[in-house]
Amino acid sequence: MPSRAFRLPEALGRRLRRREAREQLIGYLFTAPAVAVIALFGLFPLGYAFYMSFFAWRVRQGPFRGLRNYGKALGEPDGVLIFAGAVALLVLAAWMWRRARQTVPERRLLGLLAAVALLVLAITAAVTGWGRMLETGDVKFLNALPVTVYYALGSIPLQLAIALALACVLFQNLRGSAFFRMVFFLPYVMPTVATATVFRSIFSSRDTSMANQFLALFGLEPQQWLAESRPVLEVLFGWQLPDFWGGPSLALASIILFGVWTFVGYNVVIFLAGLGSISGELYEAAELDGANRWDVFRHITFPLLSPVTFYLALIGFIGALKAFNHIFVMRSPLAQGTVNTASMVIFDTFYLANQYGYAAAQVVLLFLMILGVTYAQNRVFGRSVIYD
Amino acid sequence: MPHRIVLSLTAAIALTVSFLVMPAGAQSDPWAKIDPSNQSLVFWHNHTRSRQDALQAIVETFNESNPYGITVTQETQGSYADIFRKMLGLLGTSEVPDLVVAYQNQAATYQLSDALVDMTSLLQSPKWGMSAEQQADFFPAFFQQDVFPLFENARLGLAPNRSMEVLYYNRDWLAELGYDEPPSTPEAFKEIACKATRTPFSKADGGGAMGYQLNLDASRLASWTFAFGGGIFDYETSLYTYDSDGAQQAMAFLQDLYAEGCARPVSERGGAIADFSTGRLLFSSASSSGLPFVRAAVGAGAKFNWSVAPLPHITPAPVMNVYGASVSMPKSTPQRELATWLFIRYFTSPEVQAGWAQAANYFPVRQSAEQRLGDYFERHDAYKTAFDLLQYGRHEPPVPGYDFVRAMAEEALAAIFAQGRDVEKTLDRLNRDANVSLQEQLEYLPSAE
Repeated sequence: MPSRAFRLPEALGRRLRRREAREQLIGYLFTAPAVAVIALFGLFPLGYAFYMSFFAWRVRQGPFRGLRNYGKALGEPDGVLIFAGAVALLVLAAWMWRRARQTVPERRLLGLLAAVALLVLAITAAVTGWGRMLETGDVKFLNALPVTVYYALGSIPLQLAIALALACVLFQNLRGSAFFRMVFFLPYVMPTVATATVFRSIFSSRDTSMANQFLALFGLEPQQWLAESRPVLEVLFGWQLPDFWGGPSLALASIILFGVWTFVGYNVVIFLAGLGSISGELYEAAELDGANRWDVFRHITFPLLSPVTFYLALIGFIGALKAFNHIFVMRSPLAQGTVNTASMVIFDTFYLANQYGYAAAQVVLLFLMILGVTYAQNRVFGRSVIYD
Repeated sequence: MPHRIVLSLTAAIALTVSFLVMPAGAQSDPWAKIDPSNQSLVFWHNHTRSRQDALQAIVETFNESNPYGITVTQETQGSYADIFRKMLGLLGTSEVPDLVVAYQNQAATYQLSDALVDMTSLLQSPKWGMSAEQQADFFPAFFQQDVFPLFENARLGLAPNRSMEVLYYNRDWLAELGYDEPPSTPEAFKEIACKATRTPFSKADGGGAMGYQLNLDASRLASWTFAFGGGIFDYETSLYTYDSDGAQQAMAFLQDLYAEGCARPVSERGGAIADFSTGRLLFSSASSSGLPFVRAAVGAGAKFNWSVAPLPHITPAPVMNVYGASVSMPKSTPQRELATWLFIRYFTSPEVQAGWAQAANYFPVRQSAEQRLGDYFERHDAYKTAFDLLQYGRHEPPVPGYDFVRAMAEEALAAIFAQGRDVEKTLDRLNRDANVSLQEQLEYLPSAE
């Protein structure tokens, strides 16, 4: 039996469509300023940097260079391809590992072994590809990438851990917690250049610097701090590990301390907000079940704070990859480039070498790196986040 | 017919002769008919406090006295680096100032976009320029420094002042160590510096004694290289020569000084002046423009007698690293450019130079200014000592991208001096990298297109 569809009268339909169109137009008008601002100050500079990266641009626009600026930064294509292949293998290894853990026990060992084999292959390919890139590419820029990674990996986990511990303490409503909350937050709101200058003095290589005076209290030898280009592991234990595996220099470690000091306060405030949003009933239930403080932290506080932790880690990594001001203030020729993150190298290429096209290519590469890291972080850690 | 030919020939010869005997500049003075009247100009510079006050006084006098109603406004725009960065963003726009301080390498960078006025025709203009006698009154080394072979010998600036790398020394401590004169050879320098570390100064304010502190700066590298008879740039081949014998000897000498514990790197901004003024540091090499600051610091510190000397050298005569920013003129309109030139001409005149030198503690660029500095020389013997060394001046290369190379040179100096890296290999690498960078800079010169 054919159904008779309900039809609006023609005039009413037209009126509704017009109203809908008007609402849409109003919506667009409301968002237009934001879209314009984002397009003008966000997308346009990025697009323009992308455009510049294809040219020789030295104060003024020069001839078209195609991908040569990228080639100059990364080296010959074979090295780049091998390294990209290594990243793909790494992703595959991670995927196989996860699958193997979910599969039946008989196949699990085989799957895990295959994943480990892939991981070894990925590391070998990465080392080979990276070595080739260093041979043929811009050593300053390429060396800045692991320095950037060291800076991010050295500062973010440490500042999150300290901030979480402090937030948990402050959340106990101890006397003076409001005062300490303000004290911890102060470094974040103070001008970076001023505080970095103070840190530069504290970590000066002079015997009389505060850091060296502190070491002297324990009968330890004075250190070069910001002027030390040797890796921390070598300074502390005498281990001379090759290249990347040597870890950050003592100079970079000193700068990492500054980064941690600056951002801990901000993280504490966000963690406190997160702690406040966890239902008290959960703690009461855990207490009734006989859970001790550690159990409560491990099974309630930490998991339920995971959205906050994830957010702070994400923002922190992006910030660390772009870090500039304090490193600019604290760097010294004695550090031999071991504190030069990608942002520093880009700045030098732009303002000292005046190679705008090449600097733009470096900017695009850094942008892709940030995008990649953020995506990977989202994929890897996003799954562990518990939202309720 | 023959008569007409003779007449024509006579006319042609007369025209040719009159053209030939005409003053050279009058033949084609592009500025002769330009009117600079009533222009308002902006001058960007880096001077602050007493120097800015002195400059303001110069500007005011010019504004009141020039017959064309030209008004100059001077503006402090931060450090040399700040001004350079601001300029790079503004080149080719109407926002650029009419006059700007610029080191030679910075001017060369601006000129990559053909942004500066070549002052040659203004300088040579019969109506507005300077006579041959006036031009000869400039210290030749300063005068030539702003002529750029890379840009077909364009004059992209004119020096209003200069400074020089000198060795500051504590005269009283030197006497306590048993020496009457500052060391003139590297061997003597090492001997005294090492002795100082073992024999603290009697008036020292605080513990510790240091022979020499080296600021890890590209100009120090250049100065020591000059003192050892080397150079860092070959003007004939337009290539860096950081691997020269002189550079290698100089760096090996500094490395040895550090290894023996007789020298240390400057670890903090202003650290050398602080240590020198408190009597804990015997020798420090720095710019002569720091003379008033050292004077004030020593006066507030350990209060001892001090002076300056050339760096110890192996050359028969000292070779002094002379440097300083010139003033350059971004392109605008002929009227504004001419008005700006008239201010430059005033600023570099001997009378103004003598006053500016005393107020700013820079060296004047006009030789005749010396006659007006007699009293000042008497009151400031260190300044006089340095002034007398100007004749031995030599300068660092005025090429684009030198700032980038300076950063490389500073890392190389740090690696050699404080980290004991192989001198030859480090300098070879520096030289190779510097020349690669230079070639990249010169790849797209405006004149090459």
